[in-house]
Order: sequence, then structure tokens, then C-alpha cells
Amino acid sequence: MSAFGPMTLEIGLGALMLVVLLLGIFRPAVPDRRAGWVALIGLLVLVAASFAATPGGTLFGGSYVVDALALFAKRLFLVSAAISVLASLALPGARFARRGAEYHFALLSSLLGMLVLASSRDLVLLFVAFELMSIPLYFLTGFQKGEATAGEGALKFFLVGSVSSAILLYGFSFLFGGTGSTDMSVIAVAVATGNLMAKLGLVLALAGLGFKIAAVPFHMWVPDTYEAATTPFVAWLSVAPKAAGFIVIFRLYLEGASGAALVWVPLVSAMAGLTIVAGNLMAIPQTNVKRMLAYSGVAHIGYMLMGLAAISASGVGMVLFYLVAYLFGNMGAFLVVQAVGESEASDKMSAYRGLAQRSPVLALSLLVFLLSLGGIPFVAGFWAKLFIFRAVVDQHMYGLALLGAVATIVALYYYLILAGRMYVEEPEIKTPVVVPTPLFIAILICAIGTVVMGIYPEPWVRGVMEAVRGLF
Amino acid sequence: MEFPILSLITWTPFISALIIMAFARHRPLLVRLVGTIGSSITLVGSIWLYFAYDHVKNGFQFHESFPLVPSVGIHYLLAVDGWGLVLVLLTAIILFAGSFASWTVKTRGQEFYALLLLLVTGVFGVFVSLDLFILFLFYEIAVLPMYLLIAIWGSSGEVLPQGVFGWAFKRTGVGTKEYAAMKLTLYLLLGSAFILVGILALYTAAGSTSFSLLDLQQVKFDPALQSWVFLFFYIGFGVLAGIFPLHTWSPDGHASAPTAVSMLHAGVLMKLGAYGVLRLGFGLTPDGALQWAWLVGGIACINIVYGAFSAMSQKDLKYVVAYSSVSHMGIVMLGMATLTEQGINGSVFQMVAHGIMTGLFFALVGLVYEKAHSREIFKMGGFATMMPGIATAFVVGGFSSLGLPGTAGFVAEFLAFLGAWQSAHSWWLFPGVAGAFLTAIYVLRVAKQIFFGPKSEDPHFQNLPDAQGTEWVALVFLVCILVLFGVFPSLIVGPIDTATVALLNHMGITR
Repeated sequence: MSAFGPMTLEIGLGALMLVVLLLGIFRPAVPDRRAGWVALIGLLVLVAASFAATPGGTLFGGSYVVDALALFAKRLFLVSAAISVLASLALPGARFARRGAEYHFALLSSLLGMLVLASSRDLVLLFVAFELMSIPLYFLTGFQKGEATAGEGALKFFLVGSVSSAILLYGFSFLFGGTGSTDMSVIAVAVATGNLMAKLGLVLALAGLGFKIAAVPFHMWVPDTYEAATTPFVAWLSVAPKAAGFIVIFRLYLEGASGAALVWVPLVSAMAGLTIVAGNLMAIPQTNVKRMLAYSGVAHIGYMLMGLAAISASGVGMVLFYLVAYLFGNMGAFLVVQAVGESEASDKMSAYRGLAQRSPVLALSLLVFLLSLGGIPFVAGFWAKLFIFRAVVDQHMYGLALLGAVATIVALYYYLILAGRMYVEEPEIKTPVVVPTPLFIAILICAIGTVVMGIYPEPWVRGVMEAVRGLF
Repeated sequence: MEFPILSLITWTPFISALIIMAFARHRPLLVRLVGTIGSSITLVGSIWLYFAYDHVKNGFQFHESFPLVPSVGIHYLLAVDGWGLVLVLLTAIILFAGSFASWTVKTRGQEFYALLLLLVTGVFGVFVSLDLFILFLFYEIAVLPMYLLIAIWGSSGEVLPQGVFGWAFKRTGVGTKEYAAMKLTLYLLLGSAFILVGILALYTAAGSTSFSLLDLQQVKFDPALQSWVFLFFYIGFGVLAGIFPLHTWSPDGHASAPTAVSMLHAGVLMKLGAYGVLRLGFGLTPDGALQWAWLVGGIACINIVYGAFSAMSQKDLKYVVAYSSVSHMGIVMLGMATLTEQGINGSVFQMVAHGIMTGLFFALVGLVYEKAHSREIFKMGGFATMMPGIATAFVVGGFSSLGLPGTAGFVAEFLAFLGAWQSAHSWWLFPGVAGAFLTAIYVLRVAKQIFFGPKSEDPHFQNLPDAQGTEWVALVFLVCILVLFGVFPSLIVGPIDTATVALLNHMGITR
């Protein structure tokens, strides 16, 4: 790592935040896109820096590490944030851009929380980073404060989020009480020798983290929050904080508590099965595409938990692969929702009638994203699901694999309904949907990523296996 | 390296689809020409393949190998043996006939042809793949375009659901093309979920090194594993083969699909399911197959009799043909469950015979619908005087369906029933023969009503034209093939038998 040692990326991001914040001081003309552009350029530089960086280096006596997993996660957070910022450049000026500096400052500070989180190996640091990530998210959900739904969604998210943080902290306190340390490596030793209090802490922490990643039965905040917030932000919210949650789970349960696998693996497997089934079933009756994607996102979390339940290098590696596939597929889908929603003033399924004949490229992109989310060959999602199933079958958990495979059929039902709307039905108006250029570029990036991963998964597989090598 | 004939046959439809999408926008004639040329190339290629295949040496031939994802053991492995050979030929024949039967598609013809050809690439791929993973990918390609093909270009039934549950059927939209498309897609994808888990289970049990069929055949799997993996393959592929009670997608789907799609789906895709059970189920998990043969055969008997009775009670012409497919696929499954040489030969022969016959039937139903704009059997009548060509073809197809000597259907049913009698469950013969008898009833009844009965007074049904121009191609071609295979069955039985003997040897069954 370069001049600032292992924290180069975080320090760079901090500097970028200050610049964005200062931009807000100078009263701008409306609409003002300066903050967005500065944030985007800064993020692109940081993305480049993160890909140039190599793993290695610890700080603060081992509580802050930049291992392969941390670096992988940081890249994922930065790329998803860059796509989201690019897409939000297209948000209509009157409602949004006057407060562009606030928006981007909040988004970047949440991102800073994630970057620190990815490297934390100490419970206290972990919790602080977790809150740094979460609190700006509540603010961002309620950003469109003029609208009633925004306040409702933000409040729900805030209440559920704080309760889950409290539960998480409570669990951490048990872990500390049982082991006498906040250091992950000390906890690992104590848990392996069978400390009952530490095990209770692990179960509580799983509930807290379950809220963050929106696993069933801790998922109910998701649809309302997604519906209320601006769509480019939702695209990011649906991916990055979930990924952060999984990184914490890896740190805590694989590095810290793999000795107590008998305690938490049955819990995680049950949660995975429940999440897949419930998420998919609840998505079926939705008529609002954002809510449908919200519930389908819950189901995807279930598949990732399935990979975790396999506790093998391939299982956990494939959770990361799944996250990358999910990043492209889910963000892409939400961005198309943004494009259609802005043009038709509706997120209802009926707004998608005959989209294929109005805007073929937009419809094809959404089809690619839906197929990827549904797990169809030649797009990223297929490999993600396949690898997860393979990892689970490897551990002889055939029942879970079959449940997951059958649930994909349920998921395909509602994805196909939307695809049918676009391709089978005739449009009411023939004019193309107007898509602003930055949003269009963001959609194309996601579509290309989905297809490239689907056709040539080999390098991505190698990348994720590299990232998880340290855990086993 | 020799000429990659299998890749040529498999990918020609796909490349034709790409050409159609790229260059033929708003040029309907060009679309049809490219589609027809593509299907002709595959037909010529398949015929060449049949004669170039070394019928003395046998076994898998025309190997092609290319490492795709070597780190997990996925290779692009192609080869055909006797079964693959005749099924590739069947697919090419139906595609050729189907591409002529779709000349009349008016709306969005470009996308129609592209999707149809894409689907056929998947079908060819399944028949020629030796790598289970590639086979699965091709299987998905064959299944997915069906949703759009039925939902956009399909037709909804005219006969409304009746009976005790009539209200429930009406509420869910039974008979509409949207319902049929979704039902078919979900059923088949449900099957593919079972297949995928089964393949992964065998792959990991064999040490996670190779997806190759030949490698996996060398492994002696644990009997308990074989037992449930066989069931997974049987259920997974069986959905596509229309096994009872998972067959209900087939009547709805085939009745709602446009002509060429029904021809391909009933004619070829259902065989994909039977082929999968035979190749993967019987070939890879022989102990499981021995253990569950009674179930496969028993369900096949239900298929035969139940399918025939269902066909008898239909009022919609397309539903009759669709249910007759369910009944005939029962004979395919019965043949393989006998675990005898004759039975399995009969099973594969029935795949070919039924494929051609049902392709012919759906082409005819499509023609009748185009001329008369009706599928309701009891409204039509006396069409033979107006459309003698169509009537003749229908009668020949019907004779093959009920197993009249001199047609391909006879050879197939004879072999399958012979196998049933020789098998451990000789009582299977009786439902089989009863099925053939019931088939005679419904086929002859339909032929009599529509073509030879008293002339309908309905003003819509006066002065209807016979088949015209390109429409003749499909009819004459399929009728000739049906008779050809009936008179010279050795053309097909020869190659099939070699593969059957290899399978029985592998399963350790003495003949």
C-alpha cells in the first residue's frame, strides 16, 4: 500500500467527503450537479486505487486488517456506490439537486462506514463502523422529505435498524462477557472450548445481523423502505449494506466462531430455507415492481445464507460470487425501474406494458437482469445459484439444495410475468421511454457485467476463491 | 481433427436465428428463406450423419471435445450413438416440416422464427452432448423460448371448461394461451431443478472432477444414492415426457401453441424427456433403474389408458391430439421400463414414430384451423370432399397412431408390447394393448366426424380450400417418412439396437 498505509482508501474517501461538503456551502444555481460529478470522479479514482492495491497490512494491534476478503469487499462497495452516484446524476433537478451536497455527503459517509467495516476484526470497531454505515442510510431513505411515504419509510427503517443494532450490541456484550476480549482471535479460542455465554452472544448477534441483511423473519422493513426512497439509492441500499452484513457475518462466524459451528449452522440453514420460501412467496402478489424486487431481494439473501451454511471455502466464496452477480442484476433492475418510473410516473407493473416495442434496449436489459435474478443459463445469476447448490450438495445437504432449486421456479413465475408484460402485451403508447444518458450508461454497465459474468465466469470464480482463502 | 458435423447440425439453427434477427427486419420473405435454408442444412447434415455413421463399429462416434471450464471439469463434449443418431434425424425432419408449416405466421414473424430456431439448437444439443453440464444448458435453451412462443403467437381454446370444477378452471384462465405458457414453463423448469440436483449429486459423489457421461458411467455409485438420484432424473425428465400425474402442462401447452411449436414440442421435446430418463436415469444409475422399473412401467400404463380416455372425451381437436401424445408417451416409458432389448428398442422407435406422427397431426390441425377457423370437432363435418389431401394425410397419421401394420407406429408398438410380455411384469401387455384399442376409437371417431361425416350446414364451413403451395411440403414429406419407416423398420431399429445392447450390458442384464 502507498503513502498512508493500509488506510489509503478510507483517508481518500474522507477527503472526498470534505470536498463534497464544502461544495454545499457555496450557494449554487439550481439545479446543481457539481456535488454529484465531484463524488463520481472521486469514486472512480478510489475504484481504480482499490484495484491497484494489494492485500496486506494491519493496524491497531490486529484489530484493523486489509486482507484479501476486506479488499474484495471494498472494491464491491466502491463499484456499487459509483454506479449508484452515476445513476443519481439523472434524478430530476427540482426535487433533488438543490440538496445534492447533503445527499452525496451522506452516501459517502455510509460508504466510509462500509470500508472500515470490511477491515474490522474487533467487536468495538466493528460496531462503530456498523453505525457509521447505518445512520446515513436512515437519513437518505427520508431524503425526499416533502413526500409522506418518505417519512414513513425512513421512520420504519430507523426504528427497526436501531432495535437490531441494540440486539447486535447486546450479543456483542455477551461475547465480551464470556470471553473477556473484543478481539476476534481470542473469541475464536474461547468459543472453540465451549463457552456457553459466548454461544448465547453468537445467537443474539445473528438476530441483529439478520435484520441488517433482511433475512426472514427480520425482513419486514424492506418493502416499505424501498418503496419510499429514491430509486438509485435503493439500488445501492439493496446491495451494499447487505454485502457489508455478510462480511461481518464472515468475520464473526467463520473467523471468530467456526468452532461453534454446531450451534449456528442449523440456525443459518433454517433461516436460509425460510428466507428463500417466504421471500419468493411474498413477491408473487406484488403489483408494484419496486416491492416485488424488494421481496425477491429477500429471497436472494436466503440463497447467500445457503452458501454460508455450507461453511466450506467454495460455499463462502460463492456467496461473494453471488453478491457480485446480485450487484449487477439487482442494481440494474432497479435502475430500469428508475428510468420507467421517471418517464411513466408509476412503478406499477402496468407501466411496463409493451416496453419491448417502445424501448427495445431498455426492455432487453431488464430481461437480462430478470433472467439473471431468476438463475437462467448464460447470465451471471445462473452460475451464482449453481455454485451455491454445488457447495451445499458437497456437504450432503440435499434437501436444502432441492428446496432452493424448486424455489427458483417460484421466482421465475413472477419474473416471467414482468417479462410477459414487456414482451407479450401491446403498448398503449408507442413513444420510447426517455432515459437520461448517465442512467442509461449505468444500466448498460450492469447489463454488460451480467452477461460477461454469465458467459465467462472463470476469472470471477478465481477472484472470489482468492478472497476467501484466508478464512479457511 | 475431423469435420465437426455435430456442431454444424447443432449450431446452424442458432446462426440462422442470429442472421434473421440482424438482417431480416421487416423482410418477411427473407426471414422464411433463411429459416428454411437453415433447417434444410440441418436435414442434409443429419442424413449425411446417418450414412456416415459406422454401423459396424457402433458406439459413440463423431467425437468433438473442447475444454470449456476445465477447473470444474466442464468440457464441450459431443458424440452420437445409435439413439442420438435417429433422434437427431427425427429433430431435423420435424424442424424441416415445421419451418414450412410456419410460413403463414403473420405478426412479428422475425422474432417467431428466431425463437423457434434457437429452441431447436437446444434440442439438437441435448441429443448430441456427452457432458452432463452442457446437456443441461442445452435443455434450458430448449425449454425457455417456449414461454414467449406460446404467449405471443399461441391461440386460446374455444371450448370453455365445464363440470364440477369448471368455475375454478375459468378463474385461473385454463385454456388461455397466457395460462398455458406459464404452466408449461414452470412445470418444465421444475423438472430441470430436479435434474440439476441429480447431476450435481452424481458429480460430487464421483469426486467433482468431470461432468462427462462416459467418465461417470465408469463410477460405481452407492445404491442408496442411485436410488434417489434415479427418482430425481425420472421426475425431472419425466415432466417433459408427460408422465402421469405431471402431464397436465402438455394438453394445455400443445393446444395453445402455434402449429410449428406444437409440432416441435410434442414431436421432439417430449422425446427429450424420455431420452433423458433413458440416458441419464438408466445409463448412470442402473441400480436405481432396476429398483424403480416397476414404478416407471406402472405409471406408463396409467399414461396409456388415462391419456386415451382423456383424448376420447375432448371436444377440441387440438386437445385430442395433445392427449394422444400423453398416451403414446406412455408406450415410450413402458418400453424402457421392461428392461428388455425389444422393449427398449420399441421405446426409442416409438419416440421416432410418435414424433413424426404427432408432427403430422399438429400440422394437419393447424391447416384445418387456418381454413375453417375452428377447432371444435362437433361443429365441423364432411370436410373430405373439400380437402381430400388433408383428409388422406390425417387418415394415414391415424393409422400409424393406432398401430396399423405398414406404418411406423405398428413397429414401435409391436416391439414395446413384445418387450412387455418378456419382462418381469407381463401384465403390462394388457393396458398397452388396451391403449392401442382405445386409440383406434378416438382417432377413427374424429376422422369420421370431421372428414367423412355428414356435411356441416354452418356457412363458415362451405367451400374451404385444400392444402396449397408450401403447405403440401410438410404433409407429403411426413406421410412418406411415416410409411418408409413402417415398411423398412431396420433403417431405425438397426442403429437403436446397438445402443440398447450397450446399455443392457452396462446394466448387467443378461438377455
